[in-house]
Amino acid sequence: MFELIGISPVLLFGQVLIGLINGVFYAMMSLGVAIIFGMLRIGNFVHGAQYMLGAFGAWYLLHLPDLFPGLGLPSLGYWWALVLVPLGVGLIGALMERLFIRKVYDLEHAYGLLLTVGLAMVIEGIFNVFYGAAGQQYGVPDSLRGGVNLGFMFMPLYRIWVIVAGLVVCAATWYVIERTKLGAYLRAATENPDLVRAFGINVPRMLMLTYAFGVGLAGLAGVMAAPIYQVSPQMGQSIIITIFAVVVIGGMGSIFGAIVTGLMLGVVEGLTKAFYPQGATTVIFIIMAIVLVFRPAGLFGKETSAHQPSDIAAARPESILENGRLWLAVFAVGGSLLPFLVYPVFAMKMLCLALFASAYNLVFGYVGLLAFGHAAFYGSSAYVAAHTASAFGFPTELAILSGVAVATALGGLFGWLAIRRQGLYFAMITLALAQIVYFYAVQASWTNGEDGIQSVPRGHLFGIVDLDQPLNMYFFVLAIFLAGFAAIYRIVRSPFGQVLKSIRENEPRTTSLGYSTDRFKLLAFTLSAGLAGLAGGTKAIVFQIASLTDLYFMTSADALLMTLIGGVGTLLGPVVGAVVVVTMQKELATLGSWVIVVQGAAFVLFVLFLRKGIVGTLEDALARRAERRRRPADAPTAAPVAGDEVAAGKPR
Amino acid sequence: MTEAADLAVAGLSAWYGDSQALHGMDFAVRRGEVVTLLGRNGAGKTTTLRSIMGLLRRKSGHVRFAGEELLGRLPEYIARKGIAYCPEERGIFSSLSVEENLDLPPVVAPGGMSHADIYALFPNLAERRRSQGTKLSGGEQQMLAIARILRTGATLLLLDEPTEGLAPVIVKQIGQVIGQLKARGLTVLLVEQNFRFAAKLADRHYVVEHGRIVDTIAAADVAASMSRIENYLKV
Amino acid sequence: MKADAQDNIIEARALTKRFHGFAAVNDVDLSVRRHSVHALIGPNGAGKTTMFNLITKFLSPTAGTIVFNGEDITPEDPAEVARRGIVRSFQISAIYPRMTVADNVRIALQRPLGTAFHFWKSVRTLDVLDARIDALLEAVGLLGHRDQPAGGLPYGRKRALEFATTLALEPELMLLDEPTSGLGHEDVDRIAELIGTVSANRTILMVEHNLSVVARLADTITVLARGQVLAEGPYAEISQNPEVVDAYIGGSDD
Repeated sequence: MFELIGISPVLLFGQVLIGLINGVFYAMMSLGVAIIFGMLRIGNFVHGAQYMLGAFGAWYLLHLPDLFPGLGLPSLGYWWALVLVPLGVGLIGALMERLFIRKVYDLEHAYGLLLTVGLAMVIEGIFNVFYGAAGQQYGVPDSLRGGVNLGFMFMPLYRIWVIVAGLVVCAATWYVIERTKLGAYLRAATENPDLVRAFGINVPRMLMLTYAFGVGLAGLAGVMAAPIYQVSPQMGQSIIITIFAVVVIGGMGSIFGAIVTGLMLGVVEGLTKAFYPQGATTVIFIIMAIVLVFRPAGLFGKETSAHQPSDIAAARPESILENGRLWLAVFAVGGSLLPFLVYPVFAMKMLCLALFASAYNLVFGYVGLLAFGHAAFYGSSAYVAAHTASAFGFPTELAILSGVAVATALGGLFGWLAIRRQGLYFAMITLALAQIVYFYAVQASWTNGEDGIQSVPRGHLFGIVDLDQPLNMYFFVLAIFLAGFAAIYRIVRSPFGQVLKSIRENEPRTTSLGYSTDRFKLLAFTLSAGLAGLAGGTKAIVFQIASLTDLYFMTSADALLMTLIGGVGTLLGPVVGAVVVVTMQKELATLGSWVIVVQGAAFVLFVLFLRKGIVGTLEDALARRAERRRRPADAPTAAPVAGDEVAAGKPR
Repeated sequence: MTEAADLAVAGLSAWYGDSQALHGMDFAVRRGEVVTLLGRNGAGKTTTLRSIMGLLRRKSGHVRFAGEELLGRLPEYIARKGIAYCPEERGIFSSLSVEENLDLPPVVAPGGMSHADIYALFPNLAERRRSQGTKLSGGEQQMLAIARILRTGATLLLLDEPTEGLAPVIVKQIGQVIGQLKARGLTVLLVEQNFRFAAKLADRHYVVEHGRIVDTIAAADVAASMSRIENYLKV
Repeated sequence: MKADAQDNIIEARALTKRFHGFAAVNDVDLSVRRHSVHALIGPNGAGKTTMFNLITKFLSPTAGTIVFNGEDITPEDPAEVARRGIVRSFQISAIYPRMTVADNVRIALQRPLGTAFHFWKSVRTLDVLDARIDALLEAVGLLGHRDQPAGGLPYGRKRALEFATTLALEPELMLLDEPTSGLGHEDVDRIAELIGTVSANRTILMVEHNLSVVARLADTITVLARGQVLAEGPYAEISQNPEVVDAYIGGSDD
């Protein structure tokens, strides 16, 4: 019967089993993410790293005698790890909540995500320094060796154990939350934390314990995963985005939804592997896109009340640093001198990334949408430009334009799917959609998989100017950057840009004035995607390569990081951020793998201490200085502030 | 009247963003009293309760309870001192059953009512203990919101418009409940717009206008002051 | 009243809105006559703000229809309703704090130009609106603050700015949600005066707690209680209605 559909039963059941095991891990992980999101409103991007910590924790316990020779420590096996590691990882989670995460509860959601992205980079980066890409082996515990012969296939005992134990853990968690007193506190605090506090419950401590518990679950999943998958620093990174997609499909905030969806999608993934292997890596993300069209709140989620875009722009519109005409002139002059001061290739990298970050800022800074998938536009344009230039022999300018066209179209499509969702959802959805493009590039034939498209010809501009000459190439890139920068400045200072700013500051008011705000957001997103594509296409020509790195989510994170470092919503911020990041990468190149740790730390530090970024902070300082200069003249006569007019802190 | 004030509020000001809601509230509630804050919508009554409970960030002045300054304390600390709050919107949790709602607030002091006491006082709730909290009728939700804070042993109850939007028969029932609470020796600070309801219960009425107390009327003077009161409250 | 039904600018028919089974607005009929000032009053929780949100489509009714100028607008979204000329204010002053006072008003004025999506044009193309911006700011006494960030204004002036922004759209029907709440005495007078001035040739529906303002401005008052209409009529009538007095002061002994 199975032969009829062209698949042997062994293969089919084998894949379903693998899918079910993956599903158990998805369920345990997304359960933790869903609980943390429900209670703390934090999109815990560091969950993958915490899962990785769990696996390494088990491995460390096993190798205690080797790690600390001379102390006479015993080697603690799997069962010890199963108990100790979740506690240890949970404790680390509690510490992280205390030290970092607690600081961003009162801030816009975007900061919670940025913070956890930074923490993930730091943790995974450190492990990467010590263990690299190579995985460590962790054996199946002796008591669970062997298996059961089911007749049509051999079922390893350990896998049975994982499925049973994982389901029990999920069910127990569900029971605790839905059926116990402790769970009642959690549910109540999710609905109305203020009132629960007014009943005398220490909600802050509860939040810490909830976070620790969610993280402990990730640690437990890590221990259980150690004997199945390789214990490697990357194991968390590859699962976290899938987990976010699972949570979006299940419906955020739904505990039950997270469990069921996790299991279901694991099996679906397994089946896809059996029937259409090429689709296995993307099937979850494609399901997510489909679910979003028909059930925006997810399969088990309830429609949440819309919450507004985050207004985290740091700009002071009147500041000299926001004068685009002035800075365009400065960049034109400075940019012309730059190749004589630094290597042109280095300068071009800066310009490409500055344009990329500025394009990103258009959405994040000026509309307040936390997009987390701009690598898709940057990278797809790079691939298209590279391919059309090398395979079809397109002239350089046409190759780049083709890239821009594809990125713009992709931006329109992704925007259409995502724009109705806000805050964290928007971030998770754009991230997951971008993964589809990434995995497509991994598998398609024209993209050459891991190798990427190399030796892209630089060609002749308009058939005349030889771009193989470094300076010619440089000035072409400079012209593109200036054009892109001018375009962004114009968009921001256009009738359209005014409406964007109004949406960012008070969306319901803009709606009440008769603007269909979603359409404005969609257009801004599409424009931003096109400009990111311009940066990506240009980059492919400059460096003569398009590779998977361009599409990888870390490229999206880079755009965010540059914008954050420079100053969100400021005109110059992304440019300054790009200069800082590119310089940092160059200067720290000798540190090797530490670069990613330093970048992650920069994320964390800027979120915690310098949210306005370099340019935003500078604009504040300039404004204060101007204020001080004006003051002495009229200070003695300044009227005292009347009661009603007491300068407000941020209204809560 | 010789007993010291249980709750003493002095010079209490509070702000929502840059809009000042309270402009120096002064009043006191003695142990075992039922005292009302009367006034029109927007006068600052709810804000007063929220400020006492520590739920408002921007505030100044004094809130003393049993001799201890509570201004600036966190809500969870204030609750543990024996103050219980029943918010205007009732705050019934939809993801909790009736019984879970009832059991949610932790016991902060001995002397709270038992389940049996509570179900005797609110028979409807006993019947519906397994229902989802927000599936109850408005009146039942209000009963639940009051019942919930009786378990805790708190000695001062802050009740924010318990009669709002309820049918007269339910209002009457709630009036009886508050009467029984008073008989048990509990102190009640009641925010009301419904004066006739409050008049039957309270020892004293404070009239709130524009965030301050503008008048005080003792229970004994209510009949004589009726026209004055109507002026404060009427259309 | 039936005879001049077409003279009603907006009619809500059998409007109901339930939240979690609780009817915040229950089978309410409300008709607002063209060029009148109509006030919605009632105790807390009576459903006034819910009515507002229903009429402006910020909420969708559970049942009932809303007819504006003879057309059924029940299925429309808030932006569409606004484009028809029904413009609302909000309970908490809705302004754009980081934009200048003039830019706040400009956002409203620029929509009829039809260039809102023109991202390639300079913002200078909106300078044609300056004269009208100044006139509107003048009317609400904010001309002197023209180029200040709106967030720095005192509360009363923020409300005035919101009013100017609403007015900029020349709404046929203006919905004001507690226009005087949180204001000091002088500001209340100023806003009340403004409402009186602009009501000359348009229709105003407002939720208001300050009864002296209501008495001064409103032609018709609808009293809501527990999600239903309790009474309707001019102030003199309403203020003597025993049921209304009960709703405010409390049910009489039964």
